[in-house]
This record gives sequence, structure tokens and C-alpha cells, in this order.
Amino acid sequence: MLNNKWMGCFSEIMTKVCAKSMMAVAITGVLLCSTAASAKVDIQHWQTQDGSRVFFVHAPQLPMVDVEVRFDAGSARDGQHWGQASLTAALIGTSTAQMNEEQISSAFNHLGAQFSSDADRDSASIHLRSLTRPAILKSALSTFSQVVSGSKFQPAILERERNRLMIALKQRSVQPSAILSKHLWHDLYGNHPYGHPVDGTLETVPKISAKMLEAFYQRYYVARNAQVSIVGNVTLSQAKKIAEQVTSGLPVGQKPAPLPSPALTHQAKKDVIPFKSTQTYYALSQIGIQRGEPDYAALFVGNHLLGGSGFGSLLMENVREKRGLVYSVYSYFAPMKVSGPFLIGLSTKNATAKEADQVVRQTLEAFLEGFSDSKLQAIKDNLIGGFPLRMDNNSKILGYISMIGFYHLPLDYLEWFPKQIAAVSKEDILKAWRKHVHPDKMVMVMVGQPK
Amino acid sequence: MSVAIRLAMFACVLLFGFSAQAQVSSFKLKNGLNILVKEDHRAPVVVQQVWYRVGSNYEENGKTGISHMLEHMMFKGTKTLKPGEFSKIVAKLGGQENAFTSSDYTVYYQVIGKQHLAEVMKLEADRMRNLVIDDKEFQKERDVVTEERRWRVEDKPESRLYEQFNAMAFLNSPPHHPTIGWMNDIRHYTAEDLRRWYRKWYAPNNATLVVVGDVDPKQVLKLAEKYYGPNQPEAISPPKPQVEIPQQGERRLILKGATKSPTVMMGVHVPTLVTAKTAKARQEVYALTVLNSLLDGDDSSRLTKDLVRGTKQLADAGAGYDGTDRLQTLFMLEGTPSAGVTTDQAEQALWQEITRLQKEPVSEQELKRVLAQAEAQYVYHQDSIQAQAMIVGSLVSVGLPADTVDHWVENLRKVTPQEVQAVAQKYFSKDKLTVGVLLPNGQKAKPTSGKFHAGGIR
Repeated sequence: MLNNKWMGCFSEIMTKVCAKSMMAVAITGVLLCSTAASAKVDIQHWQTQDGSRVFFVHAPQLPMVDVEVRFDAGSARDGQHWGQASLTAALIGTSTAQMNEEQISSAFNHLGAQFSSDADRDSASIHLRSLTRPAILKSALSTFSQVVSGSKFQPAILERERNRLMIALKQRSVQPSAILSKHLWHDLYGNHPYGHPVDGTLETVPKISAKMLEAFYQRYYVARNAQVSIVGNVTLSQAKKIAEQVTSGLPVGQKPAPLPSPALTHQAKKDVIPFKSTQTYYALSQIGIQRGEPDYAALFVGNHLLGGSGFGSLLMENVREKRGLVYSVYSYFAPMKVSGPFLIGLSTKNATAKEADQVVRQTLEAFLEGFSDSKLQAIKDNLIGGFPLRMDNNSKILGYISMIGFYHLPLDYLEWFPKQIAAVSKEDILKAWRKHVHPDKMVMVMVGQPK
Repeated sequence: MSVAIRLAMFACVLLFGFSAQAQVSSFKLKNGLNILVKEDHRAPVVVQQVWYRVGSNYEENGKTGISHMLEHMMFKGTKTLKPGEFSKIVAKLGGQENAFTSSDYTVYYQVIGKQHLAEVMKLEADRMRNLVIDDKEFQKERDVVTEERRWRVEDKPESRLYEQFNAMAFLNSPPHHPTIGWMNDIRHYTAEDLRRWYRKWYAPNNATLVVVGDVDPKQVLKLAEKYYGPNQPEAISPPKPQVEIPQQGERRLILKGATKSPTVMMGVHVPTLVTAKTAKARQEVYALTVLNSLLDGDDSSRLTKDLVRGTKQLADAGAGYDGTDRLQTLFMLEGTPSAGVTTDQAEQALWQEITRLQKEPVSEQELKRVLAQAEAQYVYHQDSIQAQAMIVGSLVSVGLPADTVDHWVENLRKVTPQEVQAVAQKYFSKDKLTVGVLLPNGQKAKPTSGKFHAGGIR
């Protein structure tokens, strides 16, 4: 909500292609960096007494630890109260039976510990980063555990956070990229639980009460629906204690029923939303695949070639480098609990919006016809050679083990997936893409004054 | 709890929150290239960054943003590489690469498996002296930069406010213009302008090589001698000492745009470690840094605690100050008023926090929190080799010693409550204040077919 530009210290940094990742996160809210790495990460896995699944990587080099508790409690569990999953996560850490809001934030901040909570469509996560100096870690974990299992939902705090959220939602109604995202998910998913905005709408948010949040918390923030991921300078036996400590206050509860699958087929659609901006914001999209899809490696490698690898990709070459139409153009699959979107996105001046659309469609269709072996080899070299970079720090490792746990991927996923990539052939890629991607049935959304 | 705000704070504290222990090996080649190497053996990975001491604060009127335009052209070929080939080679090696331009430096980097360091050094050394700027490639890329400006600024009213706010706060010195440049200037660059700018600034004696990762510093030096050593130095004329004229009276700007929530930003001119010439003046910079953390270091700090959670006048509030800028800079305050609160009231609420800092010395308890955060951030930032390289690279590129980081926390620790009070009194006065207000222009997105109705199924 804030204009954060000058709050960071490198104000006004310009990057060549940073648009890609920002847009992706804004639209899908899921972990997209879905490939893997060298065989160096040793993941320990067990369950707590009450049935929470735990994933741990010992990383002793820095005196710090990350602990994340993640629940199947994203906005897909909102029911008709759109925004309640997000508000529940937002109010975690604002009150417990023993501590008020100021005491909680002060307890973390005086230790230099970082606490955050967040929800996306599939899940809600609560995260702690702390130094591992014993006195600090003990105190940080004690507050964290209270907050995870003992959060209260004060009507006055809800009111305040609701008012702030309403301002943000109003603001999004005049931001072209946010307008695009909202329409896109609705066009693709309709009344499916993925179809509404994670934070709810101006109509639904006012109807949410503290009692609803309390009930949502009681139902979904339970041990059997929880997963704990730990990376850092703690031993296995310490990690076991930490996992028990942070989940022991949770009710045992039950996992919720699986989400319904969205209807995979839809008609081609053009959704143009007039808006007075200098650029047209554009997406060409369809429903894609879920996590665990057997064709994923073939789709993933193909996507890197099409639009997933910045300057190595066909879209960047055709839309930016050859024609100068955009600053950023990208494509991705966002595999989720049930089938998430496949999307191509860009923004270009209004006068070239239709031209950009044509170039995107031509590029996609030509890609589905085939591509050179040298391009495929270059992309595979990039992916395989780049594995070590994908897990060279604690933050990235935490992201991976959390993904492996939440989406029930095999524990050796990080070794298995690169092998899959190496083995994929051009035929595998074309077969998988022709099976899953249908250019004649895609949804196109434009926000702006396209010409 | 807003994660976005925390992340923004993290980005900020990251650069301030370091203390002793950094082990940086420092070398200098005969051709003037500075080299800084930091070992981190956690993964078989290395980051190479080349920092040129040129950015938008080096530019002249009429050609604003040309440093950033040149950054784009650096990927468009050399005497021996075709346009785009640099990126293709790095990609094939499994590397990630990019570049960015700021007010005082332009930076190119690759993150890559350590076994490929020599190859990316060879590439980077090549484009330091052998860039070819082709007219046609240049024209296409200039279009790309205009699209970048539209995307970053033109369709974001908050960005336009910030840009015009700076133009008003800095009347005669370079931060007057935006790093990306004014649109009209971008449209009128010529390829020859770019070639001249490249020849003027891109040379080993105007650059710093930073390498962080699973490397041996002596090996890095050997490689650097081999690849960068043959590059000839250039006669570099430092930029003129442009100093902002003193502000005499409040300045105020109102901008109307496609926004639903008004915002207000305020700034006063303050020194940095570079502009401060005496030990006493540098101590003021540390006091201002502490003051910044007191206002907006974490969610226990005053703006959030008092104005977002306390009186609830603001929906969001922030402060910002970078004490390592090369030129005189701004201490900024910003707020988004809550529903029913005017921008005038938001402005008064923010100023009230300044008045309080001027009147009352801060408690030891609050100072302790600031220091605990700074110490923890020092450990956390080491999780990223990129962040480590950024910190030393940015310090050296504005003319500060690399070991500024080694003494950061101890310098913060020396700051007394009286010193915080003194800088609050000295630098914050209404006559020195610049205020920018963003107000809604009434624009809406028109309703369309894809309507939303609450309460579907399930």
C-alpha cells in the first residue's frame, strides 16, 4: 500500500527484467521457482505427536534459523466470506490470551526476530526468523508458539485492519495490473474457490466478523492440517523439540476435504476493460496443471523456452528484442493444489497492444509446431547448470521444503526433478504442450485503451 | 500485520544493519580497477558484480536517464559478440544475470556456478572497453526504455508524485531528475550520445569488481589480472561539485491522478556520510539513521505504533533515509490517511512525531531495540551472497571505505538520546520542508462484462 520506493535504500533502482517475478507473484501468489537442485540438500521428515508433518534441513553455517508453519487455509477455503482467510492470517500475531498487540511486536522486535503471516489461494503461512543464540531463540520461540496456537481475534483490531484493507482494495480498483488480475482469475475460474481475489472484495470484506475469523482459525489452524518447515543452525533433536513446541497448542483437528477440480475446458474469450492508462496491460491465459502433474517436467522445460527464462526465451526475443514493444514479457505455469493457471503476460503502449497480442499468439503457435534442437539444448543447459543457484541459501531451501511438503512431492524431488529435465526430449515437450495448451480456447484480458 | 511493509523495512535495514566481522579482501590492479572479494563457502556458487561510478547524478540536463539507457545497450554486442550473445552465453552456463542503474552507480552482475567465474570475467572485461552501439539496435532499445518508463512511472500516480516531489526538493542539483530520465529526453537520445557517454565513464579506473562466493581471493585476483588487466584506463574527469542551494521556505506540490486514496510525502535535506566532512558531522548521520529506525525500523516503531495502531489516523506510514548517498539527500516521511482523515491531518500527525522527537529524548529501551535489530540484520543479510556484494559495492562506489560496514553497529551504539534530539531539532523545520500531496482525479475503471458478485457457491 505504501509507496515503498524510497523506503528501500537503493531508491530508484532500474532492472532490466525484474518485472517478471513481480507480476508472477502478484497474480498467483504461489511459489513459482519450481525446479530443483543438486543432490546436496538433506531433508529430514517426521510427524509430531498430533500429526503435523515436519520438514527440516540442518544449515549450521550462519547463527540463525527459519521456522515456518503452513496450513491448508488459503482463500480457496473462504466459502462465501471472501477475504476471511486473508484477514485471519493478517490478525495472527495481534493478540493472544496472555499478550496484547504491542507486547507481541515488542517481544519479537527487541530480539531482532522477524515475524510475518500471510495467505495465498492454497495456504496460510506463519514465519519466524531468529538468531540461534540460546536466550534469544528460546524467547522468540516462546512468543511464536503462543501466537501460532493461541491467537485471538479482537473486534477493534479487525475493524482497523478492515479499514486499511478497504483502502487498499479501493486503490486496486484503479491499478491496471490489479484490475487485470482480478478479471483473469474470475474469467478462468468463475465460481470455483480460486475464482475470487485472495483479499476479498469491497462488497465481501465489510461483512466479515471477528467470530468468523475465530471459527476459521479453529477449523483450519489445527495440527493435522499443519506443516512445519525448519532450516538453520539447530540440531535434529532441537528441531524435533521446536516442531512439537510450536504445534502442541493446536487442536488436533482434521484436514479439510480436497478442493474441487475446476472445469478444465472453456471457450475462447476476450475481456477488454477500458481504462485511461498509457499502456495496455495484457494476459493470455488458460487453466493449466496441478502440482504433481506427470507432464510437469516437459511443460516446465518448454515454458523456459517459450517465455520463462527472460532473455533466453522466444517471447522476449520476438516481442522485445526484435520489435521493441515491451519492457517485460513472460509466461508461466502456476501449478497449485488443483489446476492453476498458465499465463502469458506483458504491458505495452496502447498503440501497439493489438500488434503485441498478434506476436504473442504467433510465437505460441510456432512454438507448438516445433523449435530447434540447439535452443532446447541451451535451455536444458541453463536449467541443469543453474541448479546450485536455486538453493544456495536458507531462504530458498525453506521455500523448497515447504513446497515439497505442502504439495506432497517426493522427498527426493530436488534430485529427481533435474534428472527429469535432462531426460526430456523435444517430442515429450511437444506432446505435453499440445495436450495441455490450447491457443484457440484461451482467455485474453486487456486493461487500457488498446488500439 | 502487513508483510509488504515488513519486507520494505527489511530491504532498508538490510543495508544499515551490519556490524564487524566482514572479511573483505581488497586489491587494486595497475590499470586502476578496484577489486573486493568476500568468501562464502556455503554453496558452490559465486556472484560477480562490476560497479561503474556513473549514474543519473552524473548526468546533464537534456540527456537525463542516459546512464540507464547505456545499461540497456551493454547487452547489445561488442567487437566480438553479437547483440544478445552475452546473455545467451551466461544462460548456457546456468547463470543468472542482470544489471541496474541508480543515482550514483551502474551495476552488472552474474550469479553462476563457481567453475564458470573465469568465463563471465572474460565477458564482463570485454564489454568494459569494447562495446559496439549499432544505430538500429539502439532505436529498438530506446523504444523498450520508453515502455519501461510507462510501466514504472506514467501509469503509477505514486511514482509520478515521487518524481515531481524530487524535482521540487532539488532545484539545482542532480537528484532533481529521475534515474530513468524524463520521457522527452529519452526520445531524443542519439546513438552518438550513448557512445560518448560510454567512452567517458566505462574504464577500469572508474570501476569496482566485487566477487562473493565459494572462491579463494588470490585466485580471483589472478583471474582478474588475466581478464581485466589488459583493459586500458581512461582520463576520467570527476563530475562538478554540484551542491543544492539552501531551502528558504516551505515548498508544496499537489498532484491529481488515478488514485482512490490520497497520500502525502514530506522531506527535509540532510547530510550523508559522504557529504559530512568532520567526525562530528558524521556522527549526525548515525543519529539520523537511529532516528529513522525509531520512526520506521520495525512494527514497534513510532509511526506504525502511534499513527496506524494508536490514533488510527493513518492506514500506512513510513520514513526513509539513506546515509550512504553520494550527494546531499532527503529524510522522507510518508503517509496514507485512513478513511475520513484529510491529507492535512495526516501531515500534521506525521509532523507531530517529529515534534515529539525534538522535545523528548528517546528512552534507552527504544535504542536497545534499534541496536538489537541492527545486529540481527547483520547476520540475516549474510544469507544472500547478492546482498553481501551489494553492500560493499555500493559503499565503495560512492567513495566510502569498504570497512564502513565493519563499524556500523558500533557507530550506532555511540549515538545518545541527546544527539537524536539534536538532529531532530537541527534538520526538521517547517521552513526547510517539501510537501507532496496526491489527490484523486475521479477516474474509475468502467464496469464490464466480468462482474463480481459476492457469495457464489461453497
